[in-house]
Amino acid sequence: MTAPLWASGVCTGVHAAGSRDVVYVPDNPLSHVLQVFQHQFRDVRLILATREEEAFGIAAGLYLGGRLPTVMLQSSGLGNSLNALTSLLIPYQIPVLTVVSMRGDVGEWNAAQAPMGRAVRAIFESIGMPHSTVESAETAAEAVRLAGKTAFGTRIGNACLLPRRVTTMTTGSDPRGDRRRGLTP
Amino acid sequence: MTRLEATQVIVELAGAAPIVASLGHPAYDLFAAGDRPQNFYTWGSMGLASSVGLGLALARPDFRVVVLDGDGSLLMNLGSLATIGLLRPANLVLVVMDNEEYATTGGQPTPTAHGADLEAAARAMAIAATATVRTEAELRTFLKQGSESTPAPVSGPVFIVAKVTESAPTAKPPLDCVFIKQRFMAGIGETEPATEGKPL
Repeated sequence: MTAPLWASGVCTGVHAAGSRDVVYVPDNPLSHVLQVFQHQFRDVRLILATREEEAFGIAAGLYLGGRLPTVMLQSSGLGNSLNALTSLLIPYQIPVLTVVSMRGDVGEWNAAQAPMGRAVRAIFESIGMPHSTVESAETAAEAVRLAGKTAFGTRIGNACLLPRRVTTMTTGSDPRGDRRRGLTP
Repeated sequence: MTRLEATQVIVELAGAAPIVASLGHPAYDLFAAGDRPQNFYTWGSMGLASSVGLGLALARPDFRVVVLDGDGSLLMNLGSLATIGLLRPANLVLVVMDNEEYATTGGQPTPTAHGADLEAAARAMAIAATATVRTEAELRTFLKQGSESTPAPVSGPVFIVAKVTESAPTAKPPLDCVFIKQRFMAGIGETEPATEGKPL
């Protein structure tokens, strides 16, 4: 299967920002990104974490060791991450490029995902972590690259949000799980 | 063995190896046992010391990384053991200062006071080199074992539960988080990425 354009864009952007270490907690749309990394970006190390907060802890250690880390997570995991962000990454000025696969935004089918989906941007703003949103598959690479460059330049983490409109409702973005749930556009 | 005594042994045997300390009493005792640039003191993020140490160990396989965790802290992030057991960095030494209480917050008993066995948890997560030590001699012996010819792939990550008694900390590390980070990175020969000084 050809990788969806948005997923290739995320990988290109992470790579162009200089990041070679991606710590992640899996998510259905992000599975495409992981596949592109595995097949087309062999110099990128993928590190599976059991929980989002742990992912940010590992990323902090990678940065202390001279790496430029990326964390990929689903927006529902932002709640799990807050103590790491607010009491480690932000006060120590440890930057992490953060790629967030959105749940709970336009196109959501699961009510349990909606409250955090609504809160994501307000949470980032209230803790002082800049964020931007990928508007289309075509602009994903540049948006992610800029988020990463800004993070590593300013030493403040920067989040790039991937809305479901981009990740699950465009041609070729047809994860198996979404097919099972009858969400194929 | 008090936690401070155990910490002094670890600092002595660490040489130039970086030490990541969990917030509160483990960090305070690390400062008291020997402040050095290669100490990374956390002031928050309870539970994440082992994760920070793991990331550092992955980034720098050329040196040994020591983590000073607490029993209460590790219990907040037990999934970390699964990740360490999965990745098995040969250069990671995770020491849990197990005083069986949340000492920093007033001495409430942790589950290890009632039989929770963190060494067994580590073994169950596929960490092979583990020990529970109760004396300085035992700690010393096991730490020396763990440091042989790092990063030898066979040695794997080392996990030590040090059963310690609580000792009131006598000093606190610097409070400036950015200072701690910058001094630490310089201490292990890292420089933060410089901004390119031009539009992105």
